[in-house]
Amino acid sequence: MITQIVFWFFAVVLIGSAVMVVSARNPVHSVLFLILAFFNAAGLFLIAGAEFLAMILVIAYVGAVAVLFLFVVMMLDVNFSQLREGLQRYFPVGAAVGLVLFVELALSASAWRIAPNVRDLPHARVPGASSNTEALGELIYTHYVFLFQACGLVLLVAMIGAIVLTLRDRPSAKRQDVAVQHARVPADTLQMMTLGLGESTTGNGGFRRPIGKSAEKPVSRPALVIENSPDREG
Amino acid sequence: MNWTLALPEIVLSVSGLAILVFGVLQRRDPTQVCSLLTLAAFVLTGVLVLLAPDGIGYNSVFVGDDFARYMKILSLAGAALSLILSMDYNRREGIGRFEFPVLLLFSTVGTMVMASSENLMTLYIGLELQSLAIYILCAFDRDRLGSAEAGLKYFVLGSLASGLLLYGVSLVFGFAGTMEYRGLQAALSASAEIPTGLVIGIVFIIVGLAFKVSAVPFHMWTPDVYQGAPPPVTSFMAGAPKIAAFALLLRVMAGPFGTASHQWQLLIELISMASMLFGALAAIPQTSIKRLMAYSSIGHMGYALMGLAAATPAGMRGTLIYLAVYLFMNAGTFAVIVAMRRRGRPVERIADLAGLGRTDPGLALAMAIFMFSMIGVPPLSGFFGKLLVFSAALQAGLPVLVVVGIVSSVIGAYYYLRVVKVMYFDVATAAFDRPAASVSLVSAGMGLVTGLFILLLGPVSSAAQAAAAVLFR
Amino acid sequence: MHVVLADYFPVLVFVVIAFGIAGAMLGGSLLAGQQKPYAEKLSAYECGFDAFDDARRRFDVRFYLVSILFIIFDLEVAFLFPWAVALGRIGLFGFLSMLAFLGVLTVGFIYEWRKGALDWE
Repeated sequence: MITQIVFWFFAVVLIGSAVMVVSARNPVHSVLFLILAFFNAAGLFLIAGAEFLAMILVIAYVGAVAVLFLFVVMMLDVNFSQLREGLQRYFPVGAAVGLVLFVELALSASAWRIAPNVRDLPHARVPGASSNTEALGELIYTHYVFLFQACGLVLLVAMIGAIVLTLRDRPSAKRQDVAVQHARVPADTLQMMTLGLGESTTGNGGFRRPIGKSAEKPVSRPALVIENSPDREG
Repeated sequence: MNWTLALPEIVLSVSGLAILVFGVLQRRDPTQVCSLLTLAAFVLTGVLVLLAPDGIGYNSVFVGDDFARYMKILSLAGAALSLILSMDYNRREGIGRFEFPVLLLFSTVGTMVMASSENLMTLYIGLELQSLAIYILCAFDRDRLGSAEAGLKYFVLGSLASGLLLYGVSLVFGFAGTMEYRGLQAALSASAEIPTGLVIGIVFIIVGLAFKVSAVPFHMWTPDVYQGAPPPVTSFMAGAPKIAAFALLLRVMAGPFGTASHQWQLLIELISMASMLFGALAAIPQTSIKRLMAYSSIGHMGYALMGLAAATPAGMRGTLIYLAVYLFMNAGTFAVIVAMRRRGRPVERIADLAGLGRTDPGLALAMAIFMFSMIGVPPLSGFFGKLLVFSAALQAGLPVLVVVGIVSSVIGAYYYLRVVKVMYFDVATAAFDRPAASVSLVSAGMGLVTGLFILLLGPVSSAAQAAAAVLFR
Repeated sequence: MHVVLADYFPVLVFVVIAFGIAGAMLGGSLLAGQQKPYAEKLSAYECGFDAFDDARRRFDVRFYLVSILFIIFDLEVAFLFPWAVALGRIGLFGFLSMLAFLGVLTVGFIYEWRKGALDWE
C-alpha cells in the first residue's frame, strides 16, 4: 500500500517535471526540472529495489551531468526564444509521433509474455549478496571483466576527445613549468656588483639584463644590477 | 577462462595505450612516428587475428570464429588504409596531431569487439567505443566549420540511434530474460509464438544498426557528415564501422533471431530496396564528389542488405563478399579524393576532376576503375559482389528485390559514368598538386585489387563461405 | 519492497524537516514581512553601480573541459563503489581487474596532465 502510494507520487512528479523540462520558457528552469526528474527517477529505482542505480543517478546525473547542462545553458549565448518558434508549427507532427510510440508501447505491454524457460536462463545470479550494490560488485569485476575493461577504454576515448576538441595551446598563456623553475640558477637572473661611492645605477647604464641573457656587453665597472627578467611565478 | 581468445583486441588496446603515452611524453611532434607505430600495431593484430583460437569466452560475452575473423581482418584493413591516407592529408592541412592514429586505433578496437560479440551488452559497448572515437575524428579539423558540424550532427543522431538500440536491447532482455545470443536462440526456439514485445525489441535493434550502416530511412546524416569530415575519416567511416555494424546485423539476425526471420525479413527487404533506389536517385544532382560518395554508399549498403534479406547461407556469403569489395573500392576512391588538391587547398567538386585523364593518367585510370566497379561492370570486383547477392536473392525467392537492384544499378551507372566523362572528355583546368607517394600507393593498390579481383575471388569467397557457415551452425 | 522503503524512512523524515524549515522561513517572511518592491530594489546588486551588460555571455570552453573531465572521473568513481563493497568476495582477480581499469584511466590522466589540460594560465 505504502509502496504504491510512493510509486504513484514519484511517477506523477517525474512525468510532470519531464513535461516541464521541454515546455518551460526559461532554459535554467528546464534544467532545474530535469534535476527534479532525476531525483524522482532515483526514487522509482529505489522502489524497484535497484538501490545502486538510484544512488548513481543522483551522484552522476544530478551531481555532474545536470551541473554541466546548467553551465551550458547559462553560459552559451543562444537565443532560446528563437529556438522555440518552431514548436507551434511542429507540434502536430511531434504529437502524432508521440502517439504512435505510445500505442506501440501499450501494445507491447498488453502482449507481455515471457519465454517459458526464462527462469533457467540468467546464470548471472548472485545467491549470497545481501544488497544490490554487492551483487553488482560481484558480477562486474569478475564475471563481466571483459566488458568492464572495455568501459575503461570508452572513458579513455571520451577523455582524449574532450581534450582534442577543446584544448588549445595559447602562446600568450603563462604556464607554470615546474622543471624550468627548478632548473633556474641565480646566475640566470642575478648579477652582484659593487657600486662605487656616490655612483648611481643610471650612471652605469641603467638596469641591465644579466650576462648571457643579453647582447649587451657587461660594463667593466661593477654596478648594481637588479633582477628584471619576466617573473615566471606570477 | 580462455584468455587468448581476445588476444588481438587486448594487444591492440595495450599498444594504443602505449602509443598514447609515448606520444604525449615526446617533446618534438610525434605524429608521424605514432602513425607508423599504429600501422605496425594493426599489422601485428592482423596476424594475431589469424592465429586466434575459436570458441566462446569471458563468460559468454565474446566469441572467436571464422565470421569474426573475416570481419576483423576487413576492418583492420580499412583502418590501416585510412590511416595511410590521413598521414599525408593531416600534415598538409595542418591538423596532424598524434591523437588521430590513437583514436582511429580505439575505434578499430570497437569494431573488432562488435565483430566478436556474443552478448547484446558486448554489442552495445563495442558500438559505443567505435562510435565515440568516430564522433571525435569527424570534428578533428575543429577550426573548419564543416568538420565541427559533421562531428556534432553525427554525434546527436548517433546517440539517438544508440538510445533506440539500447531500448530494443532492454525490451529483448525483458521478454527473453537473457542477453546471450545462444540463450536468446534457445528462448526463441522454445516458444511457439514470439511475443510482440520481443518483435518490437528486434525492430528497435534493426533501426539502431540500420542507422550505423546509413540505410534508408536512417540515412539523413550521411551526406552532411561525409562532406564535412576530413576525407581520411570519411573513408574510415564508410569502411570499418559499416562492416562492423553489418557483422552485428548478420550475427544477431541469423543467430539469435534466426528463428524469427519471417518477422524481420520483410523489413530488411524494404530497407534494402529503399536504400538502393534512394542512393541511385539522390546522387544524380550532386556536384560534390564527397556527397556523391555518400549517396553511393547508401546505395551500396542497400545491395549488401539484399544478401541479409535472403536469410540464407548463400545470401550471407554474398553480403560478406560485397562488403570486402566495397571496402577496397571505397578506400581507393577516397585516396583519389585525398589527392584532389590545387595550390595546397583541397577541392571537392566533380568539375574539378576535369581533364584528369591528361594531367594525371594514372590517378584517372584508378578512379575510372573504381567507378566502373561501383556500377558493376565485369570483370571488376563490384560485378562479383552484385552477382552473388542478386543470385542469392533470386534463389531465396525475392525477384522484386533483384529487379529493383538492377534498375537502381542502371540509374546509378549514370552518375558514375559522368565522373568518368568529366575526367576524360572535359577540358582540363589546372593539374592537381603532386600527390604524396603513400596516397598514390593506396589508389594504385586498390585499383589493382579492384581490377584483378577475379584472381582473389577464390580465397575471399572460401573465407566468406566459412564465415557464413558459422552463422547457420 | 517494504523492507527497502523502511530503510529510507530516516531520509524521508530528513526531507520533510528540510522542506518544512525552508518553507516556514520563506512563507514566514512572505506573510509577516512588509513587501514594498520598486525597480531599484529588484535590480541585481553589483557593488553599487549599474549592471554593465547581460550576464549571458560566451564563456571560455575550458570551463566545459574541466567539467567534462570531472564527469569522466566521477563515472570512474561510480565503478569503485560496488567494487569496494564486494572486494571481500571477488578476491585477487577482482582486485587486479580494478587495477587494470584504473591503469587505463591513469594513462588518460598522464595524457591530460602532460597536455596541460589541468593547468589554468
